[in-house]
Amino acid sequence: MHQRSKALALLLLLPALALFAALTLYPLGRVLALSLFVTDYGFEGATFTGLGNYVELFSHRFFRIATWNTIVFAVLATASEVGIGLTLALLVNGRIPGRRFVIPVIIMPYVLSTMVVTAIWRAWFHYDFGFLNNVLRAAQVPPVEWLFNPDIAMLSLVIVDAWQTAPLTFIILLAGLQVIPREVYEAAEVDGAGPVRIFRSITLPLLAPYLFLAALLRSVDAFKIFDKVFALTGGGPGQATETLSMYVYRLGFKFFDVGLASAASIIMVVVAGVLAAFYAARLLRGSS
Amino acid sequence: MTGGSSAGAWARGAATYLAAVLFLLPIVWMAATSLRPPIEYISPSISLWPSSATLEHYRALMADDVAGKALNSIIVALGATSLSLAAGFPAAYALVRLRFPARLDMAFLVFVLLVKLTPPISLAIPLYQVLRALSLLDTLMGLIIVYQVYTLPFAIWMLLGFVRDVPVEYEEAALVDGASLARRLVYIVVPVMIPGIIATAVFVMILSWNEFAYALLFIQSPSKFTLPTFIATLITEDETFWGKLSAIGFLASLPILLLVGFVQKGLTRGFGGGLK
Repeated sequence: MHQRSKALALLLLLPALALFAALTLYPLGRVLALSLFVTDYGFEGATFTGLGNYVELFSHRFFRIATWNTIVFAVLATASEVGIGLTLALLVNGRIPGRRFVIPVIIMPYVLSTMVVTAIWRAWFHYDFGFLNNVLRAAQVPPVEWLFNPDIAMLSLVIVDAWQTAPLTFIILLAGLQVIPREVYEAAEVDGAGPVRIFRSITLPLLAPYLFLAALLRSVDAFKIFDKVFALTGGGPGQATETLSMYVYRLGFKFFDVGLASAASIIMVVVAGVLAAFYAARLLRGSS
Repeated sequence: MTGGSSAGAWARGAATYLAAVLFLLPIVWMAATSLRPPIEYISPSISLWPSSATLEHYRALMADDVAGKALNSIIVALGATSLSLAAGFPAAYALVRLRFPARLDMAFLVFVLLVKLTPPISLAIPLYQVLRALSLLDTLMGLIIVYQVYTLPFAIWMLLGFVRDVPVEYEEAALVDGASLARRLVYIVVPVMIPGIIATAVFVMILSWNEFAYALLFIQSPSKFTLPTFIATLITEDETFWGKLSAIGFLASLPILLLVGFVQKGLTRGFGGGLK
């Protein structure tokens, strides 16, 4: 549609621009500046240290642990959520009685507040009276220290995350399966291809863009994880489940090492930015 | 896929229902536990249904002013949603319909996406300082404003698709008749977009209703807690407050669980984001 004034376009964009400037651009600039100082709050009385905070971070054992934990969590969570989502989507993408009711039921965990989700699973993981250990004991299996064994706590976190967000990957992949034309399958069946061959040569390649999108979306979110760690394990036992967001929170809001926390924030923004660039490239290619 | 043999179809149906039950089970457990006396859940039993139901947990919540917390959540969710729609709708309209110099529109969209994917905690320190400087720390108004970090990118991306669906011809006809932009928006674009605007509002409201990190960091007075921060205090306060936790969890989830069919439609339409 033709339009005379470019000023009008900018005017309509102005409220959103103003909010973004105040809530993201200015804070990002400020956190970048703070990351160059040793400070417990602002710039008053702060000592300039250049890249000193960054150097200190990389020598910090807890920073390395938090980085490693974040990577482990993101990989495990993304892999299990895409795997579960794909399995569910393949199951539901057929003729099943009551399909109309099954889909919303599977989506339910996804709309819940993370705090509600955490409240449920903390009870389920309880060693003495938790539902999971009660089931294990009833089956004559020794109970598990879901949240207090450092080797298991990360897996428990992944279980909760998968329960809450596999519904999202499920919906994305189901949408992907539904745009594959039925004729493609029929032609393959006429040619005598078995189900495994059909899955590998037709379903997977045609679903690839959706798998990529789901994996990217989940890994960006997994990288940010805070709420669940905060309320489920508090980062523990020890540092076993401390992720980068948790680390920044502790440094900035508990130890008031604002300079160091700002440097860690900037590193997170850079990593998220790289992931976001992939996502943006994908999305813009899809929409043009 | 035709599903092959009837045995195969049967197995597929059974597996699907089993999966659905597994996804539903924790929610059913929560609903049941909210009615269970403590003596029953501090036990090795795996039965889901309470043998003697009680409303004591709901009564205890009333005494904790759960209504006040729910009201805070409602105020913040409505406020954040209104602000996001008010700023997001004109932006989405301009990005789809108007011409920008030097591909500024594309640059803006990419920027919005970057904001959406930025870890919220990395903005928390400067936002805390901004809120404090503006005396908005520990206020619901402050929370409504900082929630735009999550909700505005989401609203803009979702509204873009709905603006694209409005046939340009409608607007062109009105333009020929000399209708101003304001008239076209009010009488043509908005009425056609009502379902899309409602869908966006529902998603943004759920997003704000469930938000936790900023509510934790920027609200200190218990009287201003939203439901998620209130739940968090109960989670860490006592290990086995499960009846009360389940009751409040159930109350906080009920309104959004009723919207799940709506969410399903929105998600299948376009996953420019996802909720979190």
